[in-house]
Amino acid sequence: MSPIDRPTSDSAAVGALGRDASPTGRMLRLAWSRPSFKVGLIVFSTLLLAALVYPEISGIDPTKMNYRARLVPPIFLGDWTWAHPLGTDQLGRDVFVRCLVGLRYSVLIGLTTVLLMFVVGCGLGLVSGFKGGWIDTAIMRLTDAQLSIPMIILAISILGVSRPTVPAIILVLGLSGWPLYARVARSVTLAERGKEYIRGERVLGASDWRIMLLFVAPAVLPPIAFVAVLDVARMMIFESILGFLGLGVQPPTPTFGNIIADGRKYLINAWWIATMPGLFLLVTLTSLNLMGSAMESARNKVLKGGA
Amino acid sequence: MPAGEVILDVRDLSVSLEGSAAGQRLLEGVSFKLEAGEILGIIGEAGAGKTVLARTLVNGLSEPLRVSGGQVVYRSRDLIALPRKELARIRGNEIGYIGANPTGSLDPTVSIGQQILEKLRAVQPDLSKAEARERVLEVLAAVRIPAPATRFHEYPFQFSGGMMQRVMIVDALVTNPTFLVADNITQSLDVTVAAQIIRLIRELRERFSTAIVFISSSLPMVCDIADEILVMQGGRIAEKATPEAITGRPKHAYTQSLLERLPRIWGPEIEAPRTTTASDLLRVVDVAKTYRVRRKGSFAAYNDVQAVRGVSLTVGEGENFGIVGESGCGKSTLTRLLAGLEAPDRGKIEFQGKDLGSLKGSALVEMRRSFQLLLQDPYGSLPARMAVGRIIAEPLLIHRTCPKKEIRERVLAAMAEVGLDPALENQLTVGLSAGQRQRVSIARALVLEPKLLILDETLSALDPVEQSKLLELFARLQRDHGFTYIFISHDMALVRKVCHRIAVMYLGRVVELAANQSLFENPGHPYSRALLSAVPTLDDHPFKTRDHLLEGEPPSPVDIPRGCTFRSRCPIAVEACGETDPETVPWSSDSMVACHLAGAAGLGGPGDPGVRHEGESHAQSA
Amino acid sequence: MFILGFLCRRLFQGIVIIFLVTFLIFTLLRVVPGDPARLIVGGMAPDEVVAEKAKELGLHDPIPLQFVRYLGDLVQGDLGNSFIRPKSGASFGGSAYDDPTRGERAEVLGLIVDHLPLTLQLAALAILFSLLISLPLGIAGGLNPGRWQDRLAFFSGSIFVSVPNFWLGIVLSLLFSVKLGWLPSIGYKGFIYTVLPALVLAIEVAPFVIRTLTVSLAQVMQEEFIAIAPIRGLSRWRIVMAHALRNASVPVMNLFGIQLGTLLGGVLVVEYIFDYPGLGLLTINAVLQRDFPLIQGIAICISAIFVIINIIVDLAATAVDPRLEY
Repeated sequence: MSPIDRPTSDSAAVGALGRDASPTGRMLRLAWSRPSFKVGLIVFSTLLLAALVYPEISGIDPTKMNYRARLVPPIFLGDWTWAHPLGTDQLGRDVFVRCLVGLRYSVLIGLTTVLLMFVVGCGLGLVSGFKGGWIDTAIMRLTDAQLSIPMIILAISILGVSRPTVPAIILVLGLSGWPLYARVARSVTLAERGKEYIRGERVLGASDWRIMLLFVAPAVLPPIAFVAVLDVARMMIFESILGFLGLGVQPPTPTFGNIIADGRKYLINAWWIATMPGLFLLVTLTSLNLMGSAMESARNKVLKGGA
Repeated sequence: MPAGEVILDVRDLSVSLEGSAAGQRLLEGVSFKLEAGEILGIIGEAGAGKTVLARTLVNGLSEPLRVSGGQVVYRSRDLIALPRKELARIRGNEIGYIGANPTGSLDPTVSIGQQILEKLRAVQPDLSKAEARERVLEVLAAVRIPAPATRFHEYPFQFSGGMMQRVMIVDALVTNPTFLVADNITQSLDVTVAAQIIRLIRELRERFSTAIVFISSSLPMVCDIADEILVMQGGRIAEKATPEAITGRPKHAYTQSLLERLPRIWGPEIEAPRTTTASDLLRVVDVAKTYRVRRKGSFAAYNDVQAVRGVSLTVGEGENFGIVGESGCGKSTLTRLLAGLEAPDRGKIEFQGKDLGSLKGSALVEMRRSFQLLLQDPYGSLPARMAVGRIIAEPLLIHRTCPKKEIRERVLAAMAEVGLDPALENQLTVGLSAGQRQRVSIARALVLEPKLLILDETLSALDPVEQSKLLELFARLQRDHGFTYIFISHDMALVRKVCHRIAVMYLGRVVELAANQSLFENPGHPYSRALLSAVPTLDDHPFKTRDHLLEGEPPSPVDIPRGCTFRSRCPIAVEACGETDPETVPWSSDSMVACHLAGAAGLGGPGDPGVRHEGESHAQSA
Repeated sequence: MFILGFLCRRLFQGIVIIFLVTFLIFTLLRVVPGDPARLIVGGMAPDEVVAEKAKELGLHDPIPLQFVRYLGDLVQGDLGNSFIRPKSGASFGGSAYDDPTRGERAEVLGLIVDHLPLTLQLAALAILFSLLISLPLGIAGGLNPGRWQDRLAFFSGSIFVSVPNFWLGIVLSLLFSVKLGWLPSIGYKGFIYTVLPALVLAIEVAPFVIRTLTVSLAQVMQEEFIAIAPIRGLSRWRIVMAHALRNASVPVMNLFGIQLGTLLGGVLVVEYIFDYPGLGLLTINAVLQRDFPLIQGIAICISAIFVIINIIVDLAATAVDPRLEY
C-alpha cells in the first residue's frame, strides 16, 4: 500500500497485520531499539546501584568529618588515589559518597512525587473525561486555576514557614504537578470514550464503571505512565533546588542541593565541592531524560499507529 | 488552443516503492494521451494505482515512491525530468490539481481568499494584487459559492465539505490551467453534493475549456462525465474505451466484473423485497432530541442543535426497515435514541408495547438485551486487547444471564452460527479481516438472543463481495430467529436491495416513509427525488439530475427556518411552505410524505402522468 | 465583539484565580506556627509590646475577619506593609524594638514596583536568548525528522533539560567572572549584569521550546495542505515560512503559557544565585525572613501577571489560528 493511495479500511488492515496486541509492549520494544534509551538505562541503573550499595560497603560515613582530609581535590587533580574520587569538602567529608546518598533522597522524592501526581492526576482526569458534566467542569476549572497560580511561591512559602520534611516536600511538589496529569488523562480519556468499541460496550449494557476500569483505564494509563520518567527527572531537579535554597531535606543529611549550597562558599579555593555534585546530578538526569525522551517518541509513534 | 492537440502524453510510466518493500511496482507501463478540452476518466478499485497516477501526472510523488521509468510529456516537456525551477512555472499554473480531501487541502489558519490569492500571485507574478483579487472573486462566483466577497475572508473550517471542494476547484481553475487532475474529488461528499460538484465540473469545462483527468472509483460517475475511460487494475491499464463501449461491450474481464458488481437500482428485473409483518415490534412516537452547545466566543450563550425533530415510525416484526439521509440529517442521533444510548427529550419509544422511557433499572437492562446495535467501523468497534471468545462472552458477563459453565458453549455456538472458525476463539482480533470482525460483532450481539438488530452503516466499510456474504448471513439469521433489522445507511443501493420500508430523513425529520417500491418508483417528496437523482448508477435513471438535483446545502440545525425546512432548496416551494412545517400525509397506498404540496394538482400524485412521463421519455431516448 | 466577550470572560476568571491565590496564601500563612507580631517588634521586645503590636495589626481577630479586612485593603490597591523592611534603605533587623524608625515599614506595593522592572528585563532577555538558541535547533529538527538535525535537537534538548539551573549559574559565574573576568555576576550595576542570569534562564527554557517546535513542525509538515502546496505552485520557502511555521507556532505559544511557572521558578533561583535585585530575590528573602505581607503581595501580583500573560498568549494564538475562537 502506498502512502498516498490509502482507502481507510485497507490501510487499517495492513496496519493491523503484524501488530502485537499490547501497545505498551510495542512501545517498550520500540524504545529499547533506540541507543539513547539503552545508554540512559545503563548509566542510570549503574548510578542507582552504586547509590544503594557503595555507601554501605565502603563504610564511609557521609556525615563524618575528618579534619585531616579537608579539601582534598578530586582524583583527576590529585595523585590518583581512589580514597576520595570526587575529593572532600571543607569538613573532610567524601563528596562522592555524599552525592550517592543525595541521589537516594533525590530518587526517592522524585519517584514518590511522580507516583502521587500520577495517581491523583490520572484518577481525577479519568473521572473528569469519562463522566463529563459538572464533575468535568469542576475538575478542569481547578486545573486551570492551579496552572495559573504561581505554585512555586506557594511551595517555597509552605516549606519556608514549616519544617521541610521528606513527606512535606513530596506533598508540596506533588500538589503542584498533578494538574498536567489530569489534563492529559482527561484528553486521552475523551478520545478513548469516543471510540466505537466503547459505544459497543454501552450498547451491550455495560455500566460506566465497568467500561472505565476494564477498558478505558488500561488503554489510557500506560502511555501516560510511560512518559512519567521525564517527570521524575524534573522533580529531582526541583528537589535539588529546594535543597539549595535551604528548603529541602535538612543537613546533616546530604542532598545535591545542600551539598552545592555548602560548596559554593568555597568556590574560589575548592571549586569541585560545588561543581562535582552538580555534574553528578547532570549525568543522572541526562540518563533519565534520554530514557524518557526515547520512551516518549516511541509512545507517540505507537499511538499514531505507525511502527 | 486547437481542439485535438495532444497536451499530455504519458509514455510507459512506472512507479515503484523504495525501501523495505523495494521493487514493488505501483504503476507499470502506463501510457495514454490527453487532448485539449477532453475529459479522461480513470476508474479502478482501491489499490489500482489511481491516486499514484494522479500524483505522478503533476510530478508530486513523495518518498518512498519514485518514478522508475517512463515520461509524462506535457507540451513536449517531460514533467518528471524538468528542473525544479521550470516545473514551478508550469505546475499550479498550467496544471491544476484537486484532491479527495478538500477540508485538509488549505492552511487552516489563513482565509481561503488569501490563500488562493497567494497561489495565483506565486505562479503569475505579473498580476497586480487588485487584478488577482478580482480574478479570484470572479471564479468564486463562477462555482456558485454564495456571497463570494464575504466568503473570501472566511477560513477553511467555516466551509462544509462540498463548499470547500468548490473552493479547491476555484484554487485549481483560477490560473486558467490547460489541464486539471481531479483525483477522487467526490469521495468524501454526500451523494447530492457530489452530484452538484459533477454538474459544476461539466459546466466549468465548457467555460474554461480545460482538459480534465477525472479519477474516481465510481464507474457510473466516470461514465457520466468522461469522453474516454481508462480502466486500471493493479497499476496497469486494463482497458481504454468510450463510456458507451465500456458499459455496452466491455472487452476486458476485469471491466466486465466491475460492471457485474455494480448494484442495480432500477430496471424491469429489479424486484423490491416484500414481507408480511404480523405485529409491531418497535413504535417510535414523535421523538425529538436537542443538544445544547455552548456558543464559542461568547460569555454564556448556547446554541440549540435540533438534531431530531419529531420522528414517528413503526417497525414491524421480521421487517427490514431502512433509514436514509445525508450527513447532518439526524440519522445518527436517531440511531442513538433507538439503541437506548440516549433518551429523547420528548416523545416515546415503545418496544413490544413497553415504553422504554418508563422502564428503570434492571427492567431496562433486560429490555436492552433485546435490541442490539452493530457499528460501522469493523476495526474500531472491537476492543483490541481481548481474544475473540472473550469479546463474544462479554455481554454474558455483563448481564450474568448465563451460568459460568455454559458461557463457552454459548460462545462457540454463536461463532459457528455466524461462520467463524472455532480456532479463532483464543486469538486476538488483529489478523482478522473486516468481514470476520463484523462477524465477531454479530456473534457478540447474538449471544444475548436479541429481537431487533440496528445496523448503523454496518456494511459500508466492506467491499461488495463481503457485503453480499454478510447480507446472506443476515437473511439466514432472520429466517432462523425471526430477527428484525433497522438499516441505517447512506447507500441507496443497499437499501433498495434489502429493505422493505424506508424512511428518508432531512434536517431531523422523516420527510418520506414509504415501501421500497413506492419510494424508488414513485417518490412523493421533492427531497427524495433529489436524493434518487443523485445516486450514481448505470441503470435507466427515472430521475435526471437535470430536473431534480438541488442547489445549495441544508440549513444548519441550529437555525431551522420557519415553515417547511426544505423550502429553502425546494424547486416547487410555494408561499404556503413558508408558513408551517407540513404534517405527514398519505401519498400512495404504502407511503407517507411530509409536504404541503403532496397531492396538490400538477405535482404528481400516485400515478400522476407528469412523473410517469419523465420516466417514459427517458426510457425512449435511451 | 468576540474580543470583548473573550476579555470579559477571561478577566472574570482571572479575578477568581487571584482571589483564590489570595485566599490560599493568606490562610496558609495564618495557620503555620510563628507569631508575626513577635517577628515585627523583634526577639528582644517584652511580651506586652508584642501583644500591643498584635492588637494593632488585628492579629487576634478571627481569620475570616482578617481576610475580609485584607481584601478590603487589596481592592483599594493597598497590599499592606512589610513586617521587616524599613521604609528607607535595604538594611533591617539590627535596631532595637523601641527604635522609632522601626515603625516606618516599607509598603509592599512599593517594594514590588521597585523590583519588578529588573525582573521583567531579565525575563525579556532570557526569552530572547532562548529563542536564539531554540529556533534554529527546533526548525532544523522539525524540517528534517530522523536526520542529524533532528538528533541534534533531541540531544541538546535532553542535556539542557537535565542541567540544574542553580548549578549552571555557579559554574558560569565561576567560568566567566572568576576565571575569565568577562562578565560580572553579582548584584546589579548596569545592563551587563543581566546577561549571565539571562543566559542561565534561557538554557532552562530552551529545551521546552526546542522539543515543542520540533514535534509540532514535523507534524505540520505531514499535513495534507503542506504536501499539496508545491503542486498548487507554492515555493518551498513560502510553504515553510508562511504556512508551516505559522501553524507550528501555536503550540509553542501555548507552551509559553503553560511553562510560566517554570520560568518563574527559574527567576527565583537565578536571582538568588546572582544576587540580582529583582522580584525573585525579594521573594526568597521574604520567605526566608517570614515576611508574610510581602509574600502575600508578591503572590497576588505574580498571579495577576500570570493571568495577563495567559490572556495575551491566548489572544495571540487566536490571532494566528482563528479556529481557536470557535
